[in-house]
Amino acid sequence: MTSQPPISDPERPSRRLWVRGLCDRLFTGLASGSVLLIALALVVVLAPMLWRGATAVVFKGTVEFRRMQLEQFKRGDPAAVEAEMAEVSRARQPVYDLLDRFSRGIATEDLVEESRRINREFGKQLEARDTPAQDRVELRSLAKRLRDDLMEALEATDKTAALAALGRVLRCADDPCLKGTVADGFFTLAKDYRHVVETVDLSRRAEYAKTLGEVRDAIKALFGPRPGEPVPSLDMDRYGATRWDMAEKQLARLLTVEKWVEVQPGRPLQRVEAPREREFAGTDLAPLFPLMREHAADMLRPERTFYWQYFLDGSLSSHYFGGVGPEILGTLLITLVAIAFSMPLGVISAAYLVECAGDGRTVHLIRTSINTLAGVPSIVFGLFGLAFFVIFLLPKLGLPGNSCVLAGGLTLGVLVLPIIIRASEEAVRSVPPTYKEAALALGASRLRCFVTVTLPAALPGILTGVILSVSRAAGETAPILFVAGAAVAAPAWPPWEAMTRETVTLTYSSYNMAVGDRLAALVPHNQYGMVTTLILLVLILNITAILVRSRVAKRLRGQ
Amino acid sequence: MVEPGDSPAEMPQTAEAPDKTVRTPAPTLFAAASPRPLGGEPLIRSRDFSLFYGQKVGVREITMDIHPRSVTAIIGPSGCGKSTFLRSINRMNDLIPHVRAEGRLEVAGVDVYDRRVNLPNLRQQVGMVFQKPNPFPKSIYDNVAYGRRFQGFRHRGELDEAVERCLRAAVLWDEVKDNLRKSALALSGGQQQRLCIARALATQPKVLLMDEPCSALDPIATGRIEELIADLKSAYTIVIVTHNMQQAARVSDRTAFFCLGELIEYDWTSVIFTKPARKQTEDYVTGRFG
Repeated sequence: MTSQPPISDPERPSRRLWVRGLCDRLFTGLASGSVLLIALALVVVLAPMLWRGATAVVFKGTVEFRRMQLEQFKRGDPAAVEAEMAEVSRARQPVYDLLDRFSRGIATEDLVEESRRINREFGKQLEARDTPAQDRVELRSLAKRLRDDLMEALEATDKTAALAALGRVLRCADDPCLKGTVADGFFTLAKDYRHVVETVDLSRRAEYAKTLGEVRDAIKALFGPRPGEPVPSLDMDRYGATRWDMAEKQLARLLTVEKWVEVQPGRPLQRVEAPREREFAGTDLAPLFPLMREHAADMLRPERTFYWQYFLDGSLSSHYFGGVGPEILGTLLITLVAIAFSMPLGVISAAYLVECAGDGRTVHLIRTSINTLAGVPSIVFGLFGLAFFVIFLLPKLGLPGNSCVLAGGLTLGVLVLPIIIRASEEAVRSVPPTYKEAALALGASRLRCFVTVTLPAALPGILTGVILSVSRAAGETAPILFVAGAAVAAPAWPPWEAMTRETVTLTYSSYNMAVGDRLAALVPHNQYGMVTTLILLVLILNITAILVRSRVAKRLRGQ
Repeated sequence: MVEPGDSPAEMPQTAEAPDKTVRTPAPTLFAAASPRPLGGEPLIRSRDFSLFYGQKVGVREITMDIHPRSVTAIIGPSGCGKSTFLRSINRMNDLIPHVRAEGRLEVAGVDVYDRRVNLPNLRQQVGMVFQKPNPFPKSIYDNVAYGRRFQGFRHRGELDEAVERCLRAAVLWDEVKDNLRKSALALSGGQQQRLCIARALATQPKVLLMDEPCSALDPIATGRIEELIADLKSAYTIVIVTHNMQQAARVSDRTAFFCLGELIEYDWTSVIFTKPARKQTEDYVTGRFG
């Protein structure tokens, strides 16, 4: 008989243990490391989005923001906002003055028009004063000559020619016949313009006109329409930069000029940035830039703002201003309808599959179908919902056959049905058979046994399915596209009326902003804010469901 | 109909002196279970009753009568059909697919395998206690009230009264009366089993079937359950399946010995344990077989 090998090898016991310990530790390390890595990746992906999304709620709001809130949402103290507006108007006045003075020299079409007007007025004045006919003709021709000289100066692109023409005009300034008449306007005009000619390079006037337009646009984006100008019809044009980060962007656009220059022939153009101040060096506009650079904060008064109403407010000018209240409401409502539809159906299906169905061919087919259904792309469900609910079913029921919350909820309900069925089936199956036995032995019918014993015991598992479904339904975009969504819709309130109406949802509006127009680029914080809101909403729904589930499970465990 | 809780006065309590012979395991064993004359018609009457699981035989041609207000123990080796026969009485075997019954099995004169039998009614008449305590994951109160509720008693006061009565009958009242709202799962194993008995009593059954009710309990809890069975005997007809022969000897009036699906012997407990008629029984109760 061979001797038994010893249980422990006395030669190298420590080494064996050491290797096993190392393997153990290695495995633990690898497993926990990969979990950590996944968590980290999630954080890395989500953190910037959440951070940028948070800027939709917490940011530096300017006086324009407070004015917008007051006018559009009736929020804030009117007197305080008015006082603040008066102060910033005072701070902004020098900017407008500088702009006006400079543009007089550049936009000479206005000046030409003005000199024509002066000439006409002068003629009328002469008639009214009953000047003798002889003098009148003489004065009219003088005025006409002045006008022509002035126009020549205004249209000249050569400095000396312009100055010569202006000199001809100004020589007549002391003419006693013109003193105290409308024709004096010629001379003030000429003096002003002489100043412009002396400071501005006339040959670059077209260039100035173009960049002046850019400056004007930037100023308008910062301060909104100038007081006294007609109120624009679009809400988004009525206010300047409402947020300091947007203002800083506009300020950069104002202060620096971006050019594409050819560094090397045949190579792509390169973008260079230069201070705009340099372009206007020596002109009347030059002081504008240091002024804006240093006093922009005085003109906009940024203040740290916590805009929690973002989650309640409707939006203006398709999410240029305002919040995501209607989107949250629409998403919640559709999700609620989806769960209300699919949970009973899913539980009943699970009950059938576990309690009633045997192991036949049909049941096998049903099970396979459910599993397949779970893998169908959501856009297919969207088209199904459109064809079945919107076009076929709702008109049959006497409801309007358009996209609506009800159709959306039902479609999403069908979408999440397989998830709920599978989770519920698993949950019902895992209820200890002794519970069922006990109930049946007490004389409960099968239905009563299921409703009073099996179902409560399976509830935590069923809720797990519901949690998964809520996340899926709330985050789904493609079916919404067909059956419930609209770019613009009234808030889904009250719910029973909203059932037959289109609605906005968080997902669909995010999609809309992204593909619609330049909006996402103009107000990225709103886009991120919307997505962040969706994440938070799903998170809150999940946490609620998890809490409910743990309460139920605790009660079932008898604690 | 015999109502539980009725006075057991008409029960003849005078017992014959136990038949003491050489092979009596212990003289004290039969103190609580002395043979006594069983009055009245048998409550459960089995005539050539057989039960098949598909092709497999569960029990074959069982013929026995079980009298009211007595404890009948069924003993036998594993797989001999004790539980199968017990579960046939309230048709709990129906949960198993392909079950087929032959012969006649009557409870209070009604063939339970008749197609017209109302199963819930039958099971309310024939309560059952299982091997492992299986209270519902509900409060103690809801556990006991469960059967009562769907019998149509929904009135608060009536339910309270029934719960108290059943818990008292199961000798659990004093231990749980202060926290009836506590989960039943928080009780100890023995308490849970007594709760299950209380729950079974709530539907006011005539018969109480017990399928190895003490096999998952420690000796102290077992002792309490056995005391309880002795108490309940005065009002209910109890059929108990047990592996523990001392237990059978202690609690039962009559004992049936099953083997390989057949009823080998059915007699007074004292007879079965002291001078059984069949060799097989003797081998089993003396531990030479099984």
